[in-house]
Amino acid sequence: MSLAATFDVPQLTRPAPGRVLAWLVAGVLLAMLGSLSLGYRIYGLGQVWTAFFAPDGSEAATVIAGLRLPRALIAPLTGAALGVAGTVVQTLSRNRIASPDTLGLNGGAALAVVLASTVFGVQSLTGLSLAAALGALITSLVVFGVAASAGGLSPLKIVLVGVTFASLSHAVVEVVLTSNEAQLQQLLFWLSGAFVDRPMSHVTTGFPVIALGAMVAFALSRPLDALQADDATAQSLGVPLPLVRGLAFLAVALLTGAAVSMAGPVAFVGLVVPHAARHLVGLRHVWQLPASALVGALYALLADIVARFVIFPVEAPVGAVTAVVGAFVLLVLLRRRAA
Amino acid sequence: MSAPALALDVPANRGRWAVVAIIAALFVLLLLSGVGFGSTWIGLDHVAGVLLGGGEKMDRLVVLTLRLPRVVAAALAGGAIALAGYLLQRITRNELASPGVLGVVDGAALGVVLFLAIFSNESNALVIPVTWQPLAAGLGALLAITLVLTLAGRQATSAVRLLLFGIAVAAVAKALTTIFMLIGPIYQASQATRWLAGAVDTINWGEIQIMATVLGPLVLLTGLLARHLPPADLDDVSARGIGLNVPLYRVLVFVAAAALTAIAVSFVGGVGFIGLIAPHLARLLVGRARLAGMLAAALLGGMMLMGADLLVRVAFAPIEVPAGTVTAIVGAPYFLFLLMRKDQANG
Repeated sequence: MSLAATFDVPQLTRPAPGRVLAWLVAGVLLAMLGSLSLGYRIYGLGQVWTAFFAPDGSEAATVIAGLRLPRALIAPLTGAALGVAGTVVQTLSRNRIASPDTLGLNGGAALAVVLASTVFGVQSLTGLSLAAALGALITSLVVFGVAASAGGLSPLKIVLVGVTFASLSHAVVEVVLTSNEAQLQQLLFWLSGAFVDRPMSHVTTGFPVIALGAMVAFALSRPLDALQADDATAQSLGVPLPLVRGLAFLAVALLTGAAVSMAGPVAFVGLVVPHAARHLVGLRHVWQLPASALVGALYALLADIVARFVIFPVEAPVGAVTAVVGAFVLLVLLRRRAA
Repeated sequence: MSAPALALDVPANRGRWAVVAIIAALFVLLLLSGVGFGSTWIGLDHVAGVLLGGGEKMDRLVVLTLRLPRVVAAALAGGAIALAGYLLQRITRNELASPGVLGVVDGAALGVVLFLAIFSNESNALVIPVTWQPLAAGLGALLAITLVLTLAGRQATSAVRLLLFGIAVAAVAKALTTIFMLIGPIYQASQATRWLAGAVDTINWGEIQIMATVLGPLVLLTGLLARHLPPADLDDVSARGIGLNVPLYRVLVFVAAAALTAIAVSFVGGVGFIGLIAPHLARLLVGRARLAGMLAAALLGGMMLMGADLLVRVAFAPIEVPAGTVTAIVGAPYFLFLLMRKDQANG
């Protein structure tokens, strides 16, 4: 099967990838501005400017700099991390419906965070995000290990294994949460997957982890290109498979762990984004990975803005918005395979 | 591509009803001990005494108003979900099918939450009788299963693919449930875990009465349908060949399964995996016989939910952990085990 057939990339003439990335950067910046100005109260760009460069202690300035700025930063960071993680996972498993969610990595990370904070008393954000990364890593090893030990499960079955792991960790999380009522409120909030009310410190702890994970992934661009075909091809091109796989899993775990520890399990971002990125810039990872990061950032920002308005004046958790969109995309992907 | 066979060892036909009788006896025993266990232990003789209309006043209070409702609700809901699972596995010839993975449970939950959101007034009271709630759940469940089957289309013959469509539809329903729960009155949010995880601790006799009233005719219908379920090892063409009206019974069976799931979810919430495991156990114990299999599945399903509820009451007291989490923790590994069996047809 050719690569294009595997990933449903239409053979069109695309604009140069560099230009696409430039447009995406512009889109992300615009969406960040939107994230600062839109919400329960809508502030003009002038007020946004004042809040940053001439803070006057007004309500607008406080809301913009104190409440909206953290989420305008956490949303794109989370989205970018999940987007890149999704692309790497889809390439590794040669599976169009793989993602940190459908492989249970999000769930594993969430379980690790809940266990770390309730059972082991970990409080620091760094500790929690490390726990999340560890949880994601262990889950990915288990899911792929299970798949390999069963004699190579079909891509669809791997996803079923992952989804089952996700529901298993969800159930354990619920047991832990309901038996630790003191922390229930705080953790429930985090579990809904949202960018709201996160402190700035989330950004500063999350950013280095995400940057590291993204750099590892980007450094693997060439070997990942080769891996898209099949193992034999990759090997004949001189790709050290175990090393590349190991590093790629590490990158995915760091990215997913950081994203989950910042924002909670935001559903299906890692499923949707890689498809959009491939349509925009094609199959080469040198372009595909940055495009996934940017598309992920844009998607998360837009979903976060939509979440403020779907059930106005109440805010919906952004995870619910991305879950609806993502599940529809999953349905479309499954349907398309039928044709 | 062949659907996975429901092949399990079939015990001798003769012993099948004896097995069902033993299961029924265990069911009664579990029901009595479910009432006996709790913060204070009430002897089985006392429980039996109360149930027969006698007993001390204190025992009567504890048994009749606190413990019996949740035990009965668990038995009814577990039985209904298990029966739905049995029907779905038989009609899709897919041993991985269950109301949970086919999106029926989440569809029903969405129906309930929408019902509460639409028909509550400002002081969070329902403006129409709660009797209508199962209907809303039923519509949600039916919509979900119809969606899954329509979307899957010809792919429905692939066991794994059908489930993936179910999972996607379930995800949409779950996300919408979260959103509508936020819009709805606070009263609903406080009961949220009930529909999300499945719990029997807040049920009352009025609700049980509605459950029982709806379940009666449904079970009767299911029993009638049982005779027309295509035998497990027949494909559609052969079934038609021996004179079965496949499309009609297919629709009826799906409706019955949706309704059974809906009535359980409507009052007890989404209890996962019982609809998967109970039918398997039943097949293991009584073979492929339809009527005995259905009865065994229903009894075993009721026992599982009663058992899960008993476990959370004893192990986590005084905190109420939703019983659905226990069934999920037990059920998920079992589902994995099924998936990994090598003789399974690949997606």
